[in-house]
Amino acid sequence: MFIRAAIIAVPAIWMLPVVAGESMPTIEVAAPYVRAVPPGQPNSAAFMQLSNEGDADRALVAAASSAADVVELHTHTMVDGMMQMRRIERIDLPAGQTVELAPGGLHVMLIGLTRALLPGETVELTLTLDDDSDVQVVAPVRPVGAMPMSHRHH
Amino acid sequence: MQKVLPLAAIIALASLLVWLLYDWRPNPEKAGGQRPLELAVRPTGGDFRLHSADGPVDLSSFRGKVVLIYFGYTWCPDICPTNLAIIALALRELTPRERRQVQVLFVSVDPGRDTPERLRDYAAYFHPDILGVTGTDAELARAAALYGAAYRRSEQSDSAMGYIVDHSAYTYVVDPRGRLVATFDHATPSEILVATIRSHLPGGG
Repeated sequence: MFIRAAIIAVPAIWMLPVVAGESMPTIEVAAPYVRAVPPGQPNSAAFMQLSNEGDADRALVAAASSAADVVELHTHTMVDGMMQMRRIERIDLPAGQTVELAPGGLHVMLIGLTRALLPGETVELTLTLDDDSDVQVVAPVRPVGAMPMSHRHH
Repeated sequence: MQKVLPLAAIIALASLLVWLLYDWRPNPEKAGGQRPLELAVRPTGGDFRLHSADGPVDLSSFRGKVVLIYFGYTWCPDICPTNLAIIALALRELTPRERRQVQVLFVSVDPGRDTPERLRDYAAYFHPDILGVTGTDAELARAAALYGAAYRRSEQSDSAMGYIVDHSAYTYVVDPRGRLVATFDHATPSEILVATIRSHLPGGG
């Protein structure tokens, strides 16, 4: 009898995280930062590491911030010897993987800065995922050339 | 024995297949996508005239100095600030005496948005010794061709950027006699820039 109960209870307990998981964020953001820019430069970029700690693939599909008129997702590719920066519609975040947004590659682009970005300040970003959930990020402003603290502690 | 041999062969071939699928790369790209620009004619370097906020600038006026030239534009949020910051770091590594024998030019290939005044403020942010210059399309095309710099305006209908200027991200080094002596890839570390500058300083630095 105990065994029968266990056979029912164990899967039920196992299901709990799945049910409760709707409210738990699965995308972890590490080492976010925004580049400080020269006065008058209208654009900047935010970099970070995005880890999908969940079981389902996700994607970053949009971003917003009070620090810029428009926020877009961009990447760089080398084509014909030239660095091409292009807007992209989404950044895929496969389950269990970490995607790095770093200089020279993927980044969240801030277009039309609404204020100067000075080292020591912070910028708030709202990242929107493909399941319509949001992730809030507070990113410090770093001067260009500062080494981001990108190592993660396991 | 007769049963083991085919099994061993299967395991060996399966391992080879797995390796081929996951590890073998016929032409490994160099890290950082540093594929050289394919040009029909090898860049010769040479003199050009562009314009700063203080007036016309002739490259030949810097004879006797080591000159670093970087082509980019100020709306570029990542590549240009990265390279200019590295160049600025290299300048700060030099002694004051060495720095007096070095000139850095930031050439904007986006004259539609980058006026000489804007360039002056932008370049000074990275280092006071960086001179921002630009010119007409013809002047820019000529200077770029001499150094093998490529750039291309690209309209972006789906971005608030409006248009983007794709560009090669090399840093060119011109020696005190006006000769192009080095072309460095995007994000080449400042230590290498410093070593190259010092090797070409007049009087041996």
